[in-house]
Amino acid sequence: MATTASPVVTTPTRAPGVLASALRIFDVSLGDMLWSRRTIFMALVVGAPVIMALMLRTVVSLGAPLFEQTRMTGPSIFGLMIFGLYLRFIVPVLGIFYGTSLIADEVEDKTITYLFTRPIRRGAVLLGKYLAYLACTISVVLPSLVIVYLLVVPMRGSLGASFVDLLKDLVIIAIGLAVYGSLFAFVGAKFNRPLLVGLIFIFGWEQAALAIPGYMKRFSVMYYLQALVPHAMPNDGIVGLLQAVFRESPSLLTSLFWLGLIWAVCLYLAVSVVERREYVLEQ
Amino acid sequence: MTKQTRYFMAGSAAVLVAGLCTGLVAYYGGGFQAVSASTGPTELAYVPADASVVAYADVRSIMDSELRQRLKMVLPGERGQEEFRRETGIDIEKDVDYIVASFAPGEEGTHPNPLVVVRGAFSPDALEALAREHGGVSEEYRGKKIVKSPNGDTHALAFLETGLVAIGATASVRKAIDAQLTATSITSNDEMMNLVGDIAASNNAWAVGRFDLISKQAKLPEQIARQIPPVKWFAAAGHINGGLSAMVRAEANDDQAAENLRDVVRGFLALGRLQSQGDPRIAAIANSMQLEGSGKTVQLNFSVPAEVIELVLPRKQPVDAEPLHEGLHH
Repeated sequence: MATTASPVVTTPTRAPGVLASALRIFDVSLGDMLWSRRTIFMALVVGAPVIMALMLRTVVSLGAPLFEQTRMTGPSIFGLMIFGLYLRFIVPVLGIFYGTSLIADEVEDKTITYLFTRPIRRGAVLLGKYLAYLACTISVVLPSLVIVYLLVVPMRGSLGASFVDLLKDLVIIAIGLAVYGSLFAFVGAKFNRPLLVGLIFIFGWEQAALAIPGYMKRFSVMYYLQALVPHAMPNDGIVGLLQAVFRESPSLLTSLFWLGLIWAVCLYLAVSVVERREYVLEQ
Repeated sequence: MTKQTRYFMAGSAAVLVAGLCTGLVAYYGGGFQAVSASTGPTELAYVPADASVVAYADVRSIMDSELRQRLKMVLPGERGQEEFRRETGIDIEKDVDYIVASFAPGEEGTHPNPLVVVRGAFSPDALEALAREHGGVSEEYRGKKIVKSPNGDTHALAFLETGLVAIGATASVRKAIDAQLTATSITSNDEMMNLVGDIAASNNAWAVGRFDLISKQAKLPEQIARQIPPVKWFAAAGHINGGLSAMVRAEANDDQAAENLRDVVRGFLALGRLQSQGDPRIAAIANSMQLEGSGKTVQLNFSVPAEVIELVLPRKQPVDAEPLHEGLHH
């Protein structure tokens, strides 16, 4: 009986799902992001409050009558640092520098072609990089916040009494990083000069919108984010004074709703833009 | 993920977890309070946050002070103290280190709730046995032993820590235990703690309180209440050793009220100086009185130097028995 050789059937390997692809990109991108030159900038930005707290603690331990003159306490200084340094500066700035670079860096390095030719959805590339951004920034910013808490709060204050505030602060900072990250991921995917657009948004639009009376402030992320802060907002400076005059804080639920909406919409738009846009690499 | 990245993430997580655990332990244990720039005794963690008055006395240093030794020589024998020692086995002069006392406003129409927290060397078993002898009833409250008074559950004695007991209204004692366990004590009241911080370091007895709350609780007649200056906070502190130095500070509601109060005090000081001209001892005290303060603050400092104390309470000269004896014979 003659036997016929059956043809070898090769079934094409199924492309991994969006989540599996995103996690693979996350795994690769986290190391790249963490050991990039940008991390030196992040270390400087996040290290500054720790150094300030350390200096303050040292000066007070040496007997300088700082608190007697100012009548401030450790918890109130901690609150000011959270509001003035972390929330108003570090979180948006890290959002800009990392968020806008998620896709822009690949375009600039002309490596985006290698990512997009992989058998994974383009949107998964952005999602994976976004997750890496979150892991990278959260793993640097939150420990810094905890160190500042341990150094500053015990000066005329109690760690136990401020513990609940610390937990709220950690959650708020994580929410801020997530929302600003998604906003600037969209800006990075959509615009050609994302860094400039981001800086104008943070230091131009948001500052002006918060200071101008009326509904304009509702079109800023900071308006909803600062409404979550459990500490008193400082009133120093002209902008702070204006904000105090026209202050109108949304409720907790309203803030969380709008922050969630901004996060979801921006991330969806960022994914959509990356899925559809043709990136032309400059020769 | 490279090994380097993994180590970094693990290190970051370790810092975060260590900080959170420290905070959590402090939250439940009420510890880690005021590591630097001391804001009073750690026992303030037992004073409920709504206390209207907090007072402190370093009993040991006051008892050992030169002024106290002089008073002891002049004043008649302290039978009450001796009786207390016989009953409880506690020698106030030697066994009590310091006390922290507070008053919290009672419910509408009731008296304020007092609380005294005493640090010293006590025998809990002996104290409990004594309380039981007098009909006290023991119970556990959030892990601390409380002995309540037999009639109407009004007063209680609680053993907070080794060498630390709380005595007061039963409600106050329970609130003190709650305040320490949930870290909701007076230490979270920044205004009160600022005042305590200003005076606690350099004085061995002090009191700080909300004047407006106290005058409201006192239920004074309308005519008298109208005459009381609008003062929000008061602080009084003293340092007792060979002499006595003290200060009384008031924080008025506004600058105008403070200025009016300063005028009143100035008037009294002038009157006092006028009256004291005939007596050098009183004149020395009157001249040491200094009015200070600006804005809402009115502060009166005064001191009674050791030399004035010497004039008022002269040391008893040791009697030379021999010459007198000889003299009698002659």
